[in-house]
Amino acid sequence: MIEYRHVTKVFGSGSTAVKAVDDLSFTIERGDFWSLMGPSGSGKSTVLHLIAGLTPPTSGEVLVEGRDVAKMNSKEAAELRRRRVGYVLQTFNLLPFLTAEENVGMPLVLDNVPQRDVDRRVIEALDLVKMGHRAKHQPTTLSGGEQQRVAIARALVINPAIVLADEPTGNLDRANGRAVMDLMADLNDRLAVTILLVTHDPVFAAMTKRVLRLIDGSLEQAMAFDEDDEAFAANDGLAR
Amino acid sequence: MRHSHGVQHAVLGVVARNPEGIHGYAVRRQGERLLGHFWRLNFGEVYRILDRLSADRLIEQVADGGESARKVYRITTRGQQSLDDYVLSPQTDAPRPLRQELAVKLLFASPEHLPELLRLVERQRDAYMQELHKLGTERRKMRRAPFDAFVTHLLIDGAELSARAELTWLDEVAKRLQDRYGVAGSA
Repeated sequence: MIEYRHVTKVFGSGSTAVKAVDDLSFTIERGDFWSLMGPSGSGKSTVLHLIAGLTPPTSGEVLVEGRDVAKMNSKEAAELRRRRVGYVLQTFNLLPFLTAEENVGMPLVLDNVPQRDVDRRVIEALDLVKMGHRAKHQPTTLSGGEQQRVAIARALVINPAIVLADEPTGNLDRANGRAVMDLMADLNDRLAVTILLVTHDPVFAAMTKRVLRLIDGSLEQAMAFDEDDEAFAANDGLAR
Repeated sequence: MRHSHGVQHAVLGVVARNPEGIHGYAVRRQGERLLGHFWRLNFGEVYRILDRLSADRLIEQVADGGESARKVYRITTRGQQSLDDYVLSPQTDAPRPLRQELAVKLLFASPEHLPELLRLVERQRDAYMQELHKLGTERRKMRRAPFDAFVTHLLIDGAELSARAELTWLDEVAKRLQDRYGVAGSA
């Protein structure tokens, strides 16, 4: 699903060159839920950028659904970002002059999806994150936790195979951070969306299925949690 | 020094630092100097542990022949082996604070053993992450429990906070060890 093959990413050159990712290899299976931890500057965000094709690797290959991202032409790369990969950021990045539903619909509008379908899919996505009742609100009238849920709906509206989340709880208090993580876990559970999440918080990392620790761009440690199926029996969260 | 295993090896480690031999009183003094207020053994306890270590042939009495009645001990080969084994042995899997035990190991490990010690730190980090994962599972279960799980939630919060504190500390230990000894990552 997502495969890193000896990926190295160097920014800059000569004496100012910085190796953000250093010979990194791993494979994330479809429907998996991983967290990426590590100190600031350890290359976590770059790992996400490379998957979304926002920047090419210096060497090695990043494969998404079996295809080398760096070898995609610009149309294919745009399609990857518009239809396959949803992105959630720490800072929500909602457009302040649009309502929640207009923000959520934006990726579809940019992709020339007919308005009728946009409306339907926006409602579905907002319902998934339990924000249907706030559809007409502008971001400034929403709490941080609500804004992040709208941002997650915007990532989900394209029915992505993969969600990349870069510190999605970084700007939230503990309760809202936990709610966002519960939501992520449930989405992974119910929709089988593959999720790769960057976090500093061990409590939140422990809510995923596997943790990778990066130090200076290379893999310091990988651990899987002892799985307890009951844990993910989805009777809460999104269940109605 | 709650754990008898760590305590015994702390005493053994102090004896090991004194190849010419050391008596019980000095063991306590040196222990206090090395471990500060984490060293909580009184004289009686130190003497009891020395007797036990001696019975186990991990230390032996130095044949002194002097007029002092005080027993002077030094470590045996077997004792040194036991200390080395202990210093490099993995933690028991139950996630409990590693601080004091790790301090004992760090004090008596030689610098070339640091990569192994870093691996111990990592294993301990794994144990706490597993613990956090279990707590998360428990929290989800409690949320749909058919009863008021208020107190359980408080306990889960508390357990999470202490696991988080341990993890933060372990990160700090690993970083400071690497800064100090320049050892590379130990993955």
